[in-house]
Amino acid sequence: MKKFLINVMFIITFLILYFLQLNFFSWFQIAGVMPNLFVVLVLYIGLFAGRSMGLAYGVIFGVLLDLFVGQKIGMTAIMLGIIGIIGGIFEKNFSKDSRLTVMIMVVSSTIIYEIGIYALRYMVLENNLEIWSFAKILFAEVIFNIIITIIFYPLIQKTGHSIENEYKGNRILTRYF
Amino acid sequence: MYKDKKSGAFGIFITVVILIILVLLTNTDNSNLSAFENAASNLVTPIQNGLTYLKNKVSGNNDFTTNINNLQAENEELKKRNSELEQDLRELETIKTENTTLKEYLNLTEKYGDYTTVPADVINRDISNYSKIIIINIGSDNGIAEGMTVIADQGLVGHVISVTNSTAKVQTIVDSASSVSSLMSTTRDSIVCKGTLDDISTLKAMYIPTEAQIIQGDSIETSGIGGIYPKGIHIGTVSRVVNTDNSIDRYAIINTAVDFGKLETVLVITNQ
Repeated sequence: MKKFLINVMFIITFLILYFLQLNFFSWFQIAGVMPNLFVVLVLYIGLFAGRSMGLAYGVIFGVLLDLFVGQKIGMTAIMLGIIGIIGGIFEKNFSKDSRLTVMIMVVSSTIIYEIGIYALRYMVLENNLEIWSFAKILFAEVIFNIIITIIFYPLIQKTGHSIENEYKGNRILTRYF
Repeated sequence: MYKDKKSGAFGIFITVVILIILVLLTNTDNSNLSAFENAASNLVTPIQNGLTYLKNKVSGNNDFTTNINNLQAENEELKKRNSELEQDLRELETIKTENTTLKEYLNLTEKYGDYTTVPADVINRDISNYSKIIIINIGSDNGIAEGMTVIADQGLVGHVISVTNSTAKVQTIVDSASSVSSLMSTTRDSIVCKGTLDDISTLKAMYIPTEAQIIQGDSIETSGIGGIYPKGIHIGTVSRVVNTDNSIDRYAIINTAVDFGKLETVLVITNQ
């Protein structure tokens, strides 16, 4: 029952983030760049609910985003799925209780996601290669994502632990080291 | 590589999923997926419509408190201006008829006036920093199909890349994956205008012929080559030319006629 509620919460959070991104962040931008909250959400699912959940939700959210506003079905799905798996890998190797490690995780997954998306766009949609402009956008986006993570860190930590208890029970090791 | 049976099966599952997605990605024609797209857009469009309506209401109420005196003076001035404009219009009418006869002599067909268009509102913009897709509030129910050209009052906006019953996705010309085959209107040299990541109001004109003369402020229009856009739609004006050591890869920056930051209503050409 509780697991069902958690899944409903993930989907509602996704929809809220989608409308936030469309209506609020299209206006509230840093240097004309908006953050990518979906990377943070999928990383969060991968970190606290495990690798397979991260992968599943990454692919589902990615396909939905591609259907809503994408140009080709699948690009966002692949990259968000990979972010989910990366969340699972981070979970095994790092502690989630430090603000700094969580920030570093957000930074690295944002960078991996954006470079992956840009590479896919270059290959599939025959994008122009503009490395310098891309680097500027990436930098601003990373900063924006960090700020949002810092603001929501207490919430992430609190809800994350209860999700982790539900999904892993007494198999949680990282918290005690 | 895999330690036990379970993680081995999981690894195979991931590989299969990724391969299936790759196959989908490279082979699908978006039109086959429009059933899913319909379902997805039905889920979010009502909420988005409401939010857009609210946003427009709030931003439209700025001049609510303008006083009547101002309005009267303005009315007076506008009436005067109206009569002047009517006078101008009559003059232009004569010039227009003269122009058409002259064009007929030259065997040129004026196509721009023959398009039938359907007006639409922009209800969504893209949420990624790289692509500049817009979503409009009319779809296949209003006779919109994939590949139709979208224009605004000032010039070219883009083309429709996928349609649902009540919405359509439009790839704008400033999208970094878009390229438009175009002409410089005075010299008739053909160039290709590509979208850039830097700005939503500039295009990069590439593949300029080495002997071509580029004039600053020259107007750029579509050439009709490639079959996506019809011929002769205004795109923008040349703002500056960037010369490189090698004249083959010099390029020009073009300001688009349409202001993509404030784009609210567009027209879809249904009979190109």
